[in-house]
Amino acid sequence: MSPRPLRRKPPEKPVDNKRAIKNILTLLKNHKWKLILTVVCAVISTLFTVIAPLLIGQATTLIFDGINKIIHNTGSIDLNALIHILIIVSALYMISSVFTYLQSIFLVEVTTKISYDLRERLIEKILHLPMDKVEENKRGDILSRVTNDVDSLQNGITQSFIQLLTAIITLIGVFIMMLSINIWMTLATIILIPVSFVLIVLMTRFSQKYFLKQLQFKGSVNGQIEETFTGHDIIRAFNQEEISMEKFERDNENWFVHEWKSQFFSSLNGPLMNFISNFTYVVVAVLGAVFVLQRVIAVGDILAFFQYTQSFTRPIQQITRVMNQIQTAMAASERIFEFLDYNDEENPSSKQISEIKDGITFDNVSFSYTPNEKIINNLSFDVKKGEKIAIVGETGAGKTTIVKLLMRFYDINSGSIKIDGVDIDEYDKDSLRSLIGMVLQDSWLFSDTISNNIQYGNLDATNEEITDAASQVYADNFIRQLPDGYESKLNEDTDNISHGQKQLLTIARTILSKKEVLILDEATSSVDTRTEKLIQKAMDRLMEGKTSFIIAHRLSTIRNADKIIVIENGKIIEQGTHEELLALKGYYYNTLNSQFNENIL
Amino acid sequence: MKKLLTPMKNKIPQILFIFIFLIVQAYCDLALPQYTAAIVNIGIQNTDFQFIIDTGMIMLIMVAISALATVGVSYFSSRVSSGYAKDLRKIIYNKVLRFSNHELNDISRSSLITRTTNDVNQLQGVLGFIFTTLIFAPILGIGSIIKVFELQTNLSWIILVNFIAVIILLATIMVRVLPYFKITQEIIDKINKNAREILIGIPVIKAFVRQDFEENKFQKVNKEFYDVNIYVYRTILIMLPLMMLIMNIMVVLILYFGAYDAINNGILTGDIIAFIQYATQIVTSFLMIGGFFIMLPRFLVSGRRISEVLNTEITITDGEITDISTNPTIEFKNVSYRYPGSEKETLKDINFSLKPGKTTAIIGGTGSGKTTILNLIPRLQDPTSGEILIDGENIKNFNLKSLRETISFTPQKAILFQGDVKSNMKIGKNNASDSEIEKALKLAQVDFVEDLAEEVTQGGSNFSGGQKQRLSIARGIIGKHDFYLFDDCFSALDMNTERKIKNNLKEMKDSSILIVSQRISTIMDADEILVVDNGEIIDRGTHDKLVENCDIYKEIANIQIDYMEALL
Repeated sequence: MSPRPLRRKPPEKPVDNKRAIKNILTLLKNHKWKLILTVVCAVISTLFTVIAPLLIGQATTLIFDGINKIIHNTGSIDLNALIHILIIVSALYMISSVFTYLQSIFLVEVTTKISYDLRERLIEKILHLPMDKVEENKRGDILSRVTNDVDSLQNGITQSFIQLLTAIITLIGVFIMMLSINIWMTLATIILIPVSFVLIVLMTRFSQKYFLKQLQFKGSVNGQIEETFTGHDIIRAFNQEEISMEKFERDNENWFVHEWKSQFFSSLNGPLMNFISNFTYVVVAVLGAVFVLQRVIAVGDILAFFQYTQSFTRPIQQITRVMNQIQTAMAASERIFEFLDYNDEENPSSKQISEIKDGITFDNVSFSYTPNEKIINNLSFDVKKGEKIAIVGETGAGKTTIVKLLMRFYDINSGSIKIDGVDIDEYDKDSLRSLIGMVLQDSWLFSDTISNNIQYGNLDATNEEITDAASQVYADNFIRQLPDGYESKLNEDTDNISHGQKQLLTIARTILSKKEVLILDEATSSVDTRTEKLIQKAMDRLMEGKTSFIIAHRLSTIRNADKIIVIENGKIIEQGTHEELLALKGYYYNTLNSQFNENIL
Repeated sequence: MKKLLTPMKNKIPQILFIFIFLIVQAYCDLALPQYTAAIVNIGIQNTDFQFIIDTGMIMLIMVAISALATVGVSYFSSRVSSGYAKDLRKIIYNKVLRFSNHELNDISRSSLITRTTNDVNQLQGVLGFIFTTLIFAPILGIGSIIKVFELQTNLSWIILVNFIAVIILLATIMVRVLPYFKITQEIIDKINKNAREILIGIPVIKAFVRQDFEENKFQKVNKEFYDVNIYVYRTILIMLPLMMLIMNIMVVLILYFGAYDAINNGILTGDIIAFIQYATQIVTSFLMIGGFFIMLPRFLVSGRRISEVLNTEITITDGEITDISTNPTIEFKNVSYRYPGSEKETLKDINFSLKPGKTTAIIGGTGSGKTTILNLIPRLQDPTSGEILIDGENIKNFNLKSLRETISFTPQKAILFQGDVKSNMKIGKNNASDSEIEKALKLAQVDFVEDLAEEVTQGGSNFSGGQKQRLSIARGIIGKHDFYLFDDCFSALDMNTERKIKNNLKEMKDSSILIVSQRISTIMDADEILVVDNGEIIDRGTHDKLVENCDIYKEIANIQIDYMEALL
């Protein structure tokens, strides 16, 4: 196994608002018509909701006047007029509900489709990224882009769009309605709104300070929990419990101190808005009553105003709440698009290759992840068709990297790798890879039936071919002993069969794919001896007549190879057959010899 | 669930304050419509300006008091919910620290991590919600009901009708949607699983050129998710407009029947206005409570998951003896071990001893029980039956700290902690000096660290597997111990490095060494080799003896040693 490149990603960049908004807008643009429909429905539904209180007010006035007439014995409530108004109001409410529903449905259809597309694009991106880009990012980090970030973007757009839209339309509508009743009442009710807006912004900014601080402590507390629970054995075996507890309590306390303040200050918006809406209520009641006495407005208008002021403060509350969601959504979109903006693996050539006639040559190949550390250094060797080549060397010497270069998982910095004298860069990558089979130690299978897993090597394979491949690698036996035989499902962690059995399946899969060239990473100690023997036999079967690169750990393999290359620090230090290398009395000889001397049989 | 309340105990006064403030707030807020009614009924009816102004002043006072009360609620509920989370985290952390492998395996480490972080956050969120909504809504609702009766109208039945309508609506929608919540969760899991699989399998996918195949597979799940989502949204989104409609229709009904009430029973306009406001309040309160019960299942899940941790019984008990003689012997006497919930015994009748100056080795296949034997010595878990003795005394009678101080432990999986090289080495010996650390690093063949202050990222991810193992070995051997336990920790090292480290181990000649391995070359020079298969010691002896007599050992040896014969 090659060491992971010792690079870490730079710390998170702050969100670039402009770009985030631009990206979100591009997403929305594809659904222009549905969004326009959403807006139209929203306008209609708000319009009707906004008119209704005015009519409710008129109904109330009718009752008030009627009661006056009853008191003065001059008549009664005009029930016909009342019923007339109430029927109209009811109709308005019903229409408005229908359009509210339509509006949310259209919007949700858009956002669900957007997140569907984004997930699709992200997966496509993952599948087509160059290898080093995949390795550079943490797995969990990429995953959370596909799941969490897409989710919060969807929620963000849905919530903010609906709420922002209706809030704005309502504000405008209500404002116009209030003006139509009385200008002074209107001014009196909205005067506090700019003030409250400023206060909220100030408060948010103030609490932000604590919020960021608490986030920092949260990170260290969560980090410690994760580390301690994972390394629990070590904490206990080395008597570190008290030290660990002390450190935890310190960070936990710090987190608390900042967190409750952050929570308190940011929750003050609630009391503030509550105060403003109550205050406005009183202003409406008192001022309204005075105006009624001066015969400027009717009694019912007070009730209408109550409802309007309520629908005035609510949107403002919504807007402030939405602001937070928009922030989250923008951060999410930033992470999603950052990932989508990575360049795909380049594959400029479409030249196909279907067989090897002569052999493979590595000519002065050098490769590095970063400019200053060479992983592979001026490597030259060649392999004839049908030869087995063993690559040996210490952990981290660069053995795996060599074969990954042949697969063109990474691009070499200088030199060339040639098949039959043609640089592999000139071929279509997919075609090149189709030529080569790979069996690595981390055997990757997916949670599906065993039969489907083997079939992965050749999607057109028949059932007979699958069982035949399994038999060839001695896997048929254990597969048939499973409850559902070939239809047994591997579970999510694919740990319902042993590690060794998994390797047998990957070998079967490769046998089925009938590749010309093979790359094999021999098992080390993680498999028990008897399974190891089976794997060995299976690998021998697999290699029959194929050109093979074996990352070898076992001398029987090495000894039987047509050529051995010994790698140290990305360089070939010795190459030749087993006998030649022994005769050389160099590194190879010394390594084996020292083992031999120390462990006298 | 009772244990979840423990961190609440010292917060009762603060909670009481929250209660009082909420009642004050509700009282003031609910008084406003009544004053409005008075303004309409008395002030306007009698053209009494002074009355209107006076009433307005009283209302403003109410508003001010209410505002202060809400700030108080915010203050105390922030403190209580943050404090609760803090205390709960501390209790869980402290508890988990005392877990043995037994308990850890039962719940799983990764799940313990989410329980201590996410689940606690979840409860904290709910707590804030409880204070501001679940307690406040009933107060407001009950207050409004009282006010409605004070108004003495004949309209209360309208509220009841609406109530029933709302309940029927909620119930119908919930019945239709609830099963889909589970389905949605399952599909989300599927999507995650699929994405993770692709991510891990990238090299294989590329090698087999199966990008399109994987894309199609993912697309199928993704489409399924899309369809379910659309269905759920279509159903659930109908709720809000219908609720609004029910509320609005209620207002219409109140006006209509209010007019009759005014004609027949002489109620006043102000009362109708106030009635509308109280009625709206009652229904809103009810909806707020309903909203809480939608969230409740999530809260219950987190609560249950945390109580499970708190209720776990810790199987390891501390002993009293702190004195352990120099150069002690450890003896396993008929030791058996069975994992919780497992039918098969992981270890059966294990007998052997570790003597000063001797090296003992255990060899066997994966899952044969090697690691479990080793974990029993520092009491990371206790045997199900049988005894482990130190100089004849059961290890359960020794003080855990003293016992563990005599043991050096290097686990199979090399785990490092965030910090630097130095802080990681100090875990092995708290007061280790720089020269001691450097010596240990040298013994463990750590030749890649230039500076002790070199950073170690979380989990040691900035080192390769082999490098981590060497650091982990260095941490194990830094102090002077009586027992050195090495659990297959040479597996990621090449033969050369392993040989050098093993040579260096000869420095600890007075102590006993226990090496677990799957490689013959690692253990062949041990004084005694135990061959373990399926939890039992099937043979023991020196390498020479085992090669002669033990079939399984022979089999292992034949495969692994073939290359040495090649040299003869």
